[in-house]
Amino acid sequence: MILAVRPPAAFPPLRAARFFMLRRLDSLSPEIPRPFSLYRQVGDELQFLIKVMGRGTRALAATQPGESLRLIGPLGNGWPTLTPGSVPWVMLGGGIGSAPFFELIRQARAGMDGGAPVPADQLTFLYGGAHAGFLYDIEAFEALGVRVVACTDDGSRGFRGNVLQALEAEWDAGRLPREVRLLACGPERMLEATGKLAAARGLECWLSLESLMGCGVGICNGCPVATRPDGPLGAWTNAKCCVEGPVFEGRAIDLEAPV
Amino acid sequence: MADLAVRLASLELRNPLLSASGTFGHGLEMQYLSPPERLGGLVSKTVSLLPRPGNKNPRIFETEAGFLNSIGLENRGIESYLASTLPEVATADCVIFTNIGGEREADFVELARILDERDEVDALELNLSCPNVQGGKLPFGTDPKTAESVLREVRKVTKKPLFAKLSPNVTRISDMARAVEAGGADGVTAVNTLLGMAVDWRKRAWRLATKQGGYSGVGIKPVALRCAWECAQAVDIPVIGCGGIRSAEDVLEYLAVGCTAVQVGTASFSDPALLGRLAGEVSELLDAAGIDSVCELIDCMERPLPASV
Repeated sequence: MILAVRPPAAFPPLRAARFFMLRRLDSLSPEIPRPFSLYRQVGDELQFLIKVMGRGTRALAATQPGESLRLIGPLGNGWPTLTPGSVPWVMLGGGIGSAPFFELIRQARAGMDGGAPVPADQLTFLYGGAHAGFLYDIEAFEALGVRVVACTDDGSRGFRGNVLQALEAEWDAGRLPREVRLLACGPERMLEATGKLAAARGLECWLSLESLMGCGVGICNGCPVATRPDGPLGAWTNAKCCVEGPVFEGRAIDLEAPV
Repeated sequence: MADLAVRLASLELRNPLLSASGTFGHGLEMQYLSPPERLGGLVSKTVSLLPRPGNKNPRIFETEAGFLNSIGLENRGIESYLASTLPEVATADCVIFTNIGGEREADFVELARILDERDEVDALELNLSCPNVQGGKLPFGTDPKTAESVLREVRKVTKKPLFAKLSPNVTRISDMARAVEAGGADGVTAVNTLLGMAVDWRKRAWRLATKQGGYSGVGIKPVALRCAWECAQAVDIPVIGCGGIRSAEDVLEYLAVGCTAVQVGTASFSDPALLGRLAGEVSELLDAAGIDSVCELIDCMERPLPASV
């Protein structure tokens, strides 16, 4: 579902992959807000792409038009600045992990941080899910004017296989050069595999992580991400997903470590 | 406007509202959402002698009426606290409590000795009760004699006010309160989290990596209120109430049963601006009730209502 929220004061354009903590304010809904990546910013409206999974998302899904929600944000760091160049950007979205890519594509096409726009042919979005029903709002992505490759495990839409297999297929077909810059958001196993692939091939790689969060603002220590001691985040064993992420450079974190 | 100032042992607080350890960062992380000048005091996340990476994920889980955590006292140790956190916290316009924790008595003594030299620290809170270190089985959390000894040894190395944060996971919390009072504590914080658990029977998965963790939030309020009352009945030193507070009404209930101040914890996760708003809301409640000073409410349960009310 798409939840549209109009905050009392409009936000300036927000970097894609930044997130908000959302909570329904009726007394029966969970007390702890849940983190959601910004999906779309339309005028003064913030839109969130939400997959109903548990108590928090069920409560939000039951929100009635006109109801007030608690919204804390924008939080976290967002995607890096996408620049045009000889190395194209490839975005890998798994299921609801597609959410932070919509604004990113729009922002990159318009030019980020006042920089040059990224031409459409330098942006590829590989959108994967178990079946076609998991490719949420894919038409909206297709309408953005960049190449969108649908990938489903059961072949019910587009390429049969996962996003990494689709990437291999793109490479093999010569539709993408061997050197690409990767951006990924999706299930942990997909991110782990993306990080591994990037490390093996020496590719630039940014991963947007999902985590349980208690606060979203760096005070509860409930969202640790294992860091690589030799990586850019330094020697401390954990980073906080909420304030140091949710976007991490692939070489900064260790998704295989038993955090 | 009702007077909210309270005296907590030797500390003058502008109001009885403190952050609970571990729910407000180490330092000024929350200054824009709940500015320190609107609080009575800031209590740091537990600082240990050596860095602690904390427990494995998942560390948090929200239950029907509360919040389970098993952070495991992740912190970068006293050296980092002194170098980076404390200078920043010192700029806060409120009373500064540093919460310290350890696995042995000697850890507490060493931490207190180090912090005694730092003027930025107004008071120490001893975390005798973390449920997430050694499964909450640390002896000074549950054994009055050991707790008394920790206080006695710490007392020798510092003149700063000492508050002992007690565990509710004991048979008689009043015994623990009396023990820390005898050891030289200036006050008691009641209480830390309740030991709790949640599971997913379908996946046969523990919700927390450590299986059990600390339960906090609205669901524990009646238990915590009873514990705070029991402590207040048992000792002459002041009691800081803590557990499930999320409104001005809750604050005044804790004061009524004998607490001099309160700590707000889990509610800051739900609403990080709450603590900054609470003083105003407490003040409004007192004004509406025709009460001039919040001190009039402390331990008022057995006193007759004033004729005018």
